Amino acid sequence: MPLGMIGISHHTAGVEIRDQITLNPKEQEELLKALKDQRGVHGSMVLSTCNRTEVYVSGENLEEEIDRLRSLITEIKGIDYFKNKDLTYVKTDEEMVDHFFKVIAGLDSLIVGEIQITGQVKDAYNFAHELDTTDGVLNKLFNFAMQAKKKVFSDTMLYDGTVSVSFAGVELARKIFSDLSDKKILLVGAGKTAELAAYHFMENGVKEINVVNRTFSKAEELAASLNGAAFPMEQLGEALSKVDIVISATSSEDYVITKQLLKQATAKSKGRPIFIIDLAIPRDVEPSVADIDSAYLFNLDDLEEIVQSNLEKRKGEIPKSLKIIDQYHAEFNQWMGSQSMAVVVSELKQHLEQVRLNEIERLKKNLPQNGYAKEIDSLTTNIINKIVRQHVKTLKQFPEGSADYKRHLQMIQDLIENDQ
Amino acid sequence: MLESIGKTLNYVIPVLYLGIIYYYYMIYSGRKPRWAKKSSWLLGILLFLSLTEIVIRNIVLGTMPLSNAYDAYSFLAFSLLFVYLIIEMGMKEKGSGLFIMFFGFLLQLIALRYLSWEPETNPLLSNPSFAIHASLAIMGYTALSLSAIYAVLYLIQQRNLKSRNLNKLFNQLPALNYLERLTTRSTLVGIILMGVGLIFAHRMARVTIGSYWPDDPKVIMSDAIWVIYLVGYILATALHWRGKRLAYVALTLFALMLVGAGVVIIGSQSFHEFY
Repeated sequence: MPLGMIGISHHTAGVEIRDQITLNPKEQEELLKALKDQRGVHGSMVLSTCNRTEVYVSGENLEEEIDRLRSLITEIKGIDYFKNKDLTYVKTDEEMVDHFFKVIAGLDSLIVGEIQITGQVKDAYNFAHELDTTDGVLNKLFNFAMQAKKKVFSDTMLYDGTVSVSFAGVELARKIFSDLSDKKILLVGAGKTAELAAYHFMENGVKEINVVNRTFSKAEELAASLNGAAFPMEQLGEALSKVDIVISATSSEDYVITKQLLKQATAKSKGRPIFIIDLAIPRDVEPSVADIDSAYLFNLDDLEEIVQSNLEKRKGEIPKSLKIIDQYHAEFNQWMGSQSMAVVVSELKQHLEQVRLNEIERLKKNLPQNGYAKEIDSLTTNIINKIVRQHVKTLKQFPEGSADYKRHLQMIQDLIENDQ
Repeated sequence: MLESIGKTLNYVIPVLYLGIIYYYYMIYSGRKPRWAKKSSWLLGILLFLSLTEIVIRNIVLGTMPLSNAYDAYSFLAFSLLFVYLIIEMGMKEKGSGLFIMFFGFLLQLIALRYLSWEPETNPLLSNPSFAIHASLAIMGYTALSLSAIYAVLYLIQQRNLKSRNLNKLFNQLPALNYLERLTTRSTLVGIILMGVGLIFAHRMARVTIGSYWPDDPKVIMSDAIWVIYLVGYILATALHWRGKRLAYVALTLFALMLVGAGVVIIGSQSFHEFY
């Protein structure tokens, strides 16, 4: 199979190295154009994300081409990490196909089932396609890999459940309120943790975020950046009664939100559900707050437990996903098999046609003028067609990709090459 | 010919319910999540077959629809299926399908107990208002049953959240506020449909027995259930009952309705006796 790749990823290098070898679009373009000029490379594509930089190629004598590729990247980046065999991995043929399928499905990602990678591969492919550096084989490989990913997405739960603590909070909120766009958030504390959590909620539709903090000026500052209102700590009870979601992350040694305080707040809000995320260590929210019917309290440990459990669930889906990938890998192999048969048969036909034309040309000199020319032309064409058909028939007797199949294809190729 | 098709459908439909319950279970358990795409089609087929069965019975028996207990229960299952299909298609929510279909299956099983292909002879059935009254009443009961189902789902989901038991069921069920909204809306729809159905019933009573307020246990019980539901709904709205309390209210009202209906069906010998 004429496919190969070289890469550096989170499996082989730390973030400091990965950061340095990331190729920006301009560098990618330079590399792709340089590869296009290499005789043995028919198609190429570059995938460069924060977790991996990989170059996929199709063509001939790929081991040599990949060696040249090491030098090319080194020239472009001015760093020789791609020449270091401990940092890089090279995969060819079946191994490369398998790797590409796993990458696109998020099975090779740092966090299994990470879905962002599919979009990144898609972008990488489109970029290469626009530069006209992909060939038929890479196009087909991408199509099969996308189909495999779609099937994994629909038939498994590999992508289910959040695997980040901040998003776990957002997902839980959605299980209480469904739509977050009309919900109000109160940040208790004006530190980085609360701010980051607030941004996650804003990305998911929340529009109103208020801030309560011991140092009122800090609350005002953060509230201004979030387009919300600031309250002094003394008005915490009042502020609690007006919101749906509370994110608490202060550095207080004592409970900031007590059961009594929240009870008063929920009484004022007529039992409207309130979702409380306690991100502080030590905790800000008295645990018995969870006893209030309308209060849903989750602390950092709870959120981490959710993330761990989701990760375990995703890992449980890996065998099922790999089975799907194997299925599409086999289909791709089948396509490659049929392609190579079509190519070789077409080459054989061209070669025999050339032989036929040469022989007719030679024969013409010894034939009387116009004597049997048509008949000879028709006869020789028929003979060639019969020979080609016989080879196709023989090839079709063997399962595609089997040893006999490959041997027969090789025999035809040798026949053509030796004659040339 | 028609009768034999109808008789076959009597038994095929409960089996199909079982098949659909299995289908939803496979979606639920995550074994076949992709099946979720086709669930509405299957419900549509089941709905069509149920409707075919109802039409065949009415043609073969030559009576108004919903003339006996079998028709009543199977129409109740049909309405449930119809309303759920609208919810599933409109709100893209498939989380409650397993529970609703199970309930529909139970209704079909109960219906089978009363299966009869003998036409009813009660003169009341010749009144066309009866069909409207019965259909509205049954649809009303369906909506009230749905509100009870959604109340149960609310309690399950709330328990999952409170105990941090974020299992497959938790992932499949809709959000709490959504379930709460479905509970209150179904109750309101039930009260309206049942109310209009009762108005028809009282008009029919005036025509057939000369009084708007017949001394019939089923009529009295139906009126009482309707009033209790209406009072419950007004109280819940006025006093801002929410969450768990609202779910318990919906379930209590439903339990009262079941007990009331059970007492009347078992104990009464009224002009409603065909029912």
